[in-house]
Amino acid sequence: MLILSRKSGESIVIDGRIRVKIVRVEGDVVKVGIEAPSDVPVHRQEVYEEIQLSNQKALTRQSSPLPKLTGAAAQPKSPVDRPLTQMSRKPSLQKP
Amino acid sequence: MKCAETIETETPTAPPASNQVRLPMGLLGFEQIKDYVLLVNPAEEPFAWLQVESNVSLAFVVVDPFLILPGYQPDIPQSDVEFLGMKQPTDALLLNIVTVHGPNHATVNLKGPIVINRHTHVGKQVILANASEYSVQHPLSVAEAAA
Repeated sequence: MLILSRKSGESIVIDGRIRVKIVRVEGDVVKVGIEAPSDVPVHRQEVYEEIQLSNQKALTRQSSPLPKLTGAAAQPKSPVDRPLTQMSRKPSLQKP
Repeated sequence: MKCAETIETETPTAPPASNQVRLPMGLLGFEQIKDYVLLVNPAEEPFAWLQVESNVSLAFVVVDPFLILPGYQPDIPQSDVEFLGMKQPTDALLLNIVTVHGPNHATVNLKGPIVINRHTHVGKQVILANASEYSVQHPLSVAEAAA
């Protein structure tokens, strides 16, 4: 791992297009500003770990009856045979 | 798990809709498992099964989030849209992974939906740009003790 020393207000440039700036240091908290193009996903590591853990908990290895939902979702109006191409279509994509 | 067609004895004889789904990057924590089959059993909707193709005893319970949360507004990062080769919102099928904690307790991961290109059946577990607005364990309203 490359380790660099930086002072508050100083930056690191990665790949000529991602700028990581040390905004402020307060005790054991470092505020970091990140400037990156929109095609570079930036997330806290905890988000990855949280989803990873959730996936591991969700994996089923044996038959488990599924709960019945209450409310509007309990009886979705759907045809008996609904291939992947016909499931509901309402996601909103991020604008480029 | 049981195959979808054997879960309920009264299940119609018609086989469930079966669809191949390829996740080239796997799921977070399961990066090596790339090939899945989506099984939809009408008796179990809105839930469906994303079954590991190479091991039918392994599966994830998934749900189309818009059937249970009409206000869900996932912000899919542009890099993922391009990776999946999607040109318009209707190209995307979203499936969110459900954790069944018990007969009366289930949660759904709203931070990291599986986004699938409907035309290519290629998908990816995406971390939403607005992931901080959503829970990884959003509780589902489950009926009491279904017999």
